[in-house]
Amino acid sequence: MNGEGNNKKNKDKQQIHNNKRCVYYSAAPSASQIDNLMYNSAMKRGFTHFLELLLVMTEKELRARYKHTVFGFFWLVANPLLQMLVIGFIFTFFMKEPILHYNYYLFVGLLVWNFFSLSLTKATPSIVFERSLIKKAVFPREVIPLSILLSNVVHFLAALILYVIPVAFLGTLTPMSIVYVLAGLFLLFVFTIGISLLTAALDVRFRDINFFVQALLIIWFYATPIVYSFSVIPYRFIWLWRLNPLTSVVQLLQHGFVGAPLPGPAMLGTNILTTTVICILGVSLFGKESKNFDDWI
Amino acid sequence: MKPQNDIAIELKNITKEYIIHHEKPTLVEKFYKGREEKFIALNNINLIINKGQKVGIVGLNGSGKTTLLKIIAGITTPTSGSVTTNGRLVSLIDLEAGFHPDLTGEQNIYLNGMLLGMKKHEIQQKLHRIIVYSGLGKFFDACLFTYSEGMKLRLGFSIAIHANPHIFVLDEGLGVGDDNFRQKAKHTLLNNKHTRTIIICTHNLELIEQQCTRIIILDQGSIIRDGGLEVLKSYGRYIT
Repeated sequence: MNGEGNNKKNKDKQQIHNNKRCVYYSAAPSASQIDNLMYNSAMKRGFTHFLELLLVMTEKELRARYKHTVFGFFWLVANPLLQMLVIGFIFTFFMKEPILHYNYYLFVGLLVWNFFSLSLTKATPSIVFERSLIKKAVFPREVIPLSILLSNVVHFLAALILYVIPVAFLGTLTPMSIVYVLAGLFLLFVFTIGISLLTAALDVRFRDINFFVQALLIIWFYATPIVYSFSVIPYRFIWLWRLNPLTSVVQLLQHGFVGAPLPGPAMLGTNILTTTVICILGVSLFGKESKNFDDWI
Repeated sequence: MKPQNDIAIELKNITKEYIIHHEKPTLVEKFYKGREEKFIALNNINLIINKGQKVGIVGLNGSGKTTLLKIIAGITTPTSGSVTTNGRLVSLIDLEAGFHPDLTGEQNIYLNGMLLGMKKHEIQQKLHRIIVYSGLGKFFDACLFTYSEGMKLRLGFSIAIHANPHIFVLDEGLGVGDDNFRQKAKHTLLNNKHTRTIIICTHNLELIEQQCTRIIILDQGSIIRDGGLEVLKSYGRYIT
């Protein structure tokens, strides 16, 4: 009873104060210049600052990864080189796939896959891992997952350049190759950005997403024509591959480098559509959720 | 020119609700539970802070101090209401947050400074001053995990103050710094007396007495007192 009485008293007190405040502030400036939920300070930061921040964060990712290693950035080149040697050695002996230049065919697919799966697995829990940054200051939260992607792009491109050197001697490169490769890379990057933003934003509230992504990636690897040729897929299951935007990405690169068949127009069309949908969804959801990240971590 | 350009911060009808996480929410729970338990951290706050004011926010634990600072700093968004801030705002809500342990002090200055909104060339110009001010000496190119708590604090504060904020939001004061550094920090804070708006939230009443001209007392998510230093006396009575 007593407690209740006190509460009431407090409430009354607050009410009085509220009223006082209202009276006090009613003379103060209001409404016109203030838009709902507008943060001047956040809006003043331009796009250039976003890029600068992204680059510094990417540099941090790369530096932190090779800190305390003896060989440092040499690993950036050594890893794909080792992988290429192993694949070239083992698969020419054991795999009897009827694909021309099989190890080169395989390797470009693996490069794409490594980039994609590494980016997604690291970007999904990135907001949760970098909670101290979120709690520190206002900045475009997108730079956290995007800096991870960008640091992986550096690795990916370094490996791709190494890959092109032996491929150049195969005689499969044509002037048109560059178009297919660039188109494939563009699709890949757009899709990776979209899906990473999507999973990173969702993972803040539902940490299950992280495990879901890990499980999904295992299936996804076999659902992408990396180790096999697209021609072995039975026609009635082809819609499954059409849902997977990585099919076109891998096929475009395989065509550009080793002359494997191009993706058909239906495949390319549905893949581009899926990519666009995921990207729009990811960017908008991340933008919406990022305002409340602090409440969940 | 805007007519009311002497206002640094304006909060209108700010309410912030948190969903109480009794346990980590999972995707499945979300569907069968439906409604969540809510906690009102801030209840209809209206506040105008003019440029150059030094505001101290006091209140018991859980009275909504940090939530209020976070909303002012834009780190979190209010459930309803609007926030307007004029000028560059820097918040030191968690003093050493945003440092990467595997990077050197210098690299961390760049990272941290840019997160606070500084431009890269601006940091390049100020780098030397930031290092000198923080008193890191020869440790500036050592990895951050080798730093003591005090060093991290000094570095964090030094970067924040060199971001040259118009509005400076500080949570829980400078507890870990030694006396020398606290004196220096106080001196810096009191500089630019007329232009810099400072909002401090702390339990250290002495600090507030020395630095602030306006005191706001929060209780259960509402402002219960707002006024000059004399308010502190009533706060003393209120907590005992």
